[in-house]
Amino acid sequence: MTVGLFIPCYIDQFFPQVAIATLQLLEKLGINVEYPIRQTCCGQPMANSGFEQSSISVYQLFVKNFSRYDYVVTPTGSCAYHVRKHFNKIDQTPEVVKVRNSTFELVNFLTDVLNKTEVAVSFPHQVGFHQSCHGQRGLGLSNASEITPDQDGQAIRLLRTIKDIKLTQLTRTDECCGFGGTFCVSEEAVSARMGIDRIADHVRNKTEVLTGGDMSCLMHLDGIIKRQRLPIKVMHIAEILNGNNIYE
Amino acid sequence: MTATHSQLAEAFNKDFDRTTWHDEALWFVRQKRDSAAYGIKEFQELRELASRIKEHTLSNLDKYLVSFEQNAIRNGVIVHWAMDAEEHNKIVLDILLKSNSKRIVKSKSMLTEECHLNPYLQKNGIEVVDTDLGEHIIQLRKEPPSHIVLPAIHLKKEDVGNTFHHHLGTPAHESDPQRLAEAARQHLREKFISSDAAISGVNFAVAETGSVVVCTNEGNADLGINFAKVHIACMGIEKIIPAWDHLGVFTRLLARSATGQSITTYTSHFTKPLEGATMHVVILDNGRTKQLGREDFRNSLKCIRCGACMNTCPVYRRSGGHSYNFTVPGPIGSILSPNLDLKKYSSLPFASTLCGSCTFVCPVKIDIHVQLYKWRQIIAEENILPVYKKWSMKIMATLLANPLLYDLGGKLARYVLRITPDRILNNNWLNSWAKARELPKPPKTSFKTWYIQSSKKK
Amino acid sequence: MNSRDSILAQVKNNKPALSPLVDLPPFEGDCSMAMFKKSIELSGGKLIEMNSVADTEKIILELFPSAKQIASDIIRGTIAVHSSTDNIVLRQIEVAVLHGQLGVAENGAIWLTEDEMLHRTLPFITQYLVLVLKKEMIVSNMHHAYSIVVPSAYGVFISGPSKTADIEQSLVIGAHGPRSLTILTYQE
Repeated sequence: MTVGLFIPCYIDQFFPQVAIATLQLLEKLGINVEYPIRQTCCGQPMANSGFEQSSISVYQLFVKNFSRYDYVVTPTGSCAYHVRKHFNKIDQTPEVVKVRNSTFELVNFLTDVLNKTEVAVSFPHQVGFHQSCHGQRGLGLSNASEITPDQDGQAIRLLRTIKDIKLTQLTRTDECCGFGGTFCVSEEAVSARMGIDRIADHVRNKTEVLTGGDMSCLMHLDGIIKRQRLPIKVMHIAEILNGNNIYE
Repeated sequence: MTATHSQLAEAFNKDFDRTTWHDEALWFVRQKRDSAAYGIKEFQELRELASRIKEHTLSNLDKYLVSFEQNAIRNGVIVHWAMDAEEHNKIVLDILLKSNSKRIVKSKSMLTEECHLNPYLQKNGIEVVDTDLGEHIIQLRKEPPSHIVLPAIHLKKEDVGNTFHHHLGTPAHESDPQRLAEAARQHLREKFISSDAAISGVNFAVAETGSVVVCTNEGNADLGINFAKVHIACMGIEKIIPAWDHLGVFTRLLARSATGQSITTYTSHFTKPLEGATMHVVILDNGRTKQLGREDFRNSLKCIRCGACMNTCPVYRRSGGHSYNFTVPGPIGSILSPNLDLKKYSSLPFASTLCGSCTFVCPVKIDIHVQLYKWRQIIAEENILPVYKKWSMKIMATLLANPLLYDLGGKLARYVLRITPDRILNNNWLNSWAKARELPKPPKTSFKTWYIQSSKKK
Repeated sequence: MNSRDSILAQVKNNKPALSPLVDLPPFEGDCSMAMFKKSIELSGGKLIEMNSVADTEKIILELFPSAKQIASDIIRGTIAVHSSTDNIVLRQIEVAVLHGQLGVAENGAIWLTEDEMLHRTLPFITQYLVLVLKKEMIVSNMHHAYSIVVPSAYGVFISGPSKTADIEQSLVIGAHGPRSLTILTYQE
């Protein structure tokens, strides 16, 4: 099995450690991973702003880069959702269909394709997990509070198996962080306020390390944490699952 | 130019504590809705059923409208049809003039808000009193509703106290909800008893029987309608449901979704007028048939106006109903309004993170966040967006479709961000980001560079 | 073309292809007295189980010892109310004691029609409302309810006393209609 690693543009440029952890984690599990170096982005930033038409050449580049792999794995639910859901705008050639069906968010790939049910690492911290909306409601990777009171999901199940970890019980379990792509600047006031409220929930419930499956949400929340000088460390779930320690 | 949602939302957010209060008041309603939804095991099945009944109804709507009309006429009801708000208002005025009705009581109807019926009637010398407590409060304050189920949810009890002190003569600084509601009760009972005509909305119109169903908690619709000699029920064409039995599905969903009650206090079925009284139904289009013709957006007409999408929307809760500048605020309003005036309401489909919570709570399963995304595409195509946005998106797309340009651009961006002190960065977007958030500290190399270098080492 | 015809023509033109009408599955549920009582209390009402309908008068006297203006077709009322009773009389009614046709266990709602109301306004204008219901007439949920009740000229499901939460989400009982609702059940 060969996996094509898709690293979204902002992770590539700003959070290389997340991409490295993803790569190392997959390789430790014996997966042959390739990173096609002509990759850029899934096209979501433009499409969510109404410029789906302009994204089409970006979609085509994505398919060209990734159609030769058995699976495409990415450490972001939002991009995986975009590929699966919105690549319907281009001709549905066999390559396009294949890429859409074989693109997985990292944790989703670990649990559904590799059937991983536990991880053998230790992380002796109080961890708050941020549900990304696209992972949760878009890809259905976890239960939603609109439907059921049972809080369950792929990432939470894996995190629970980590040695010495303590998971935060939030007051609002799955409210949006307010990032929302260009929303974060075009609706700055509401976006920031949503992020502030999310962080306040984590502070109230004693989170030491904030994690999640979408670096975009985490980047926005980290911006608020840093501005407010709060003692919360932000790490992508790939880093925790890879056994990185908190100081890396 | 009308203010955009983000401008009005920014103003709303200036008062941090009041925003907290507004968010929490509505989150409380969302939580009540959750308990009610979890409380019956077939809730999800009911949503699916309701959605499919509405789907069928829309696909056969002309026939159901005719059969509703025929059955209503057989029941002694007078049926009117209005293409738009203006015709609707004229019909209502005409009924009132012909019946010599001067004092009118009205129970809650978003449709009459949509048509701006009150100012029209007042201009024509007719007194209209809104009798739903929330509606009455905002009528006294000359404000539009900020929520379709909780019209005065933006007001604090002290605000209501001031309004009632001024208009109803309650003691100054009285802010106890019980006593304020009692004052309104006394005041409005006089209005009910002495009214000539009652105007109501319609929650469901049953094609099979010609009945209209009105749901309230206060009993104001029944008090108004039953004391008056004339009842005018105003409805949009989408209020039709095929059969009496379908009410079982919708009444189980409506109140649970709206307020978390298992049913509204009063679920009233008006089929035939009382002897000596007249009952009218006004059926309104006002853009609905146009929306029916839009394949991507037609199922917004399934909406039963429960308000659950507002209560759950993290943006609505933190920007208030008035920031939408449309009769129906929140997520559902943001997909209904562009149908009526794409330019005027072009900021509304962008007033969302596309988190999808609205779609998940909707009792008739309208794919609200998907439609928000689709309206964005139409708005961009129609060239309504600011020019800078269009060009920045086009440049970004060119960059991202070209790996070499992308690498170069990325390097440049990281370099600029790294060497420039935060306070000097003078770019609209970066400034917006940096009001409440730090920018990420860019690393020296991108992952791509690291990957190429470490592969060479191997 | 008049507005009616042009609306209908546009609907016909713009509607999607016919999608089938789904059948309603039978939704069974709990129709016990315990469930009914719980729902009534949740809606702000009160349930009293009587041995026989003949006990109604005694219970009303206990519940409303000082009430003078009582309207009812079940107990000997002090005020006669019928379809042409004057508003001045109606607005003075303190207690109305009426028959309910059917009760719904899931939400505590009681169905009554114009025939039981004496006057269409009575269940709403009275300060306190009492509904008397046969135990056998309790069904589990709204599906069962609608399969039994028929669309008479005017019919209402009433669940609890009149209420509002329009001022800061504070629940206030007794908005415009009755300040309390009491359900009296009896076995035949």
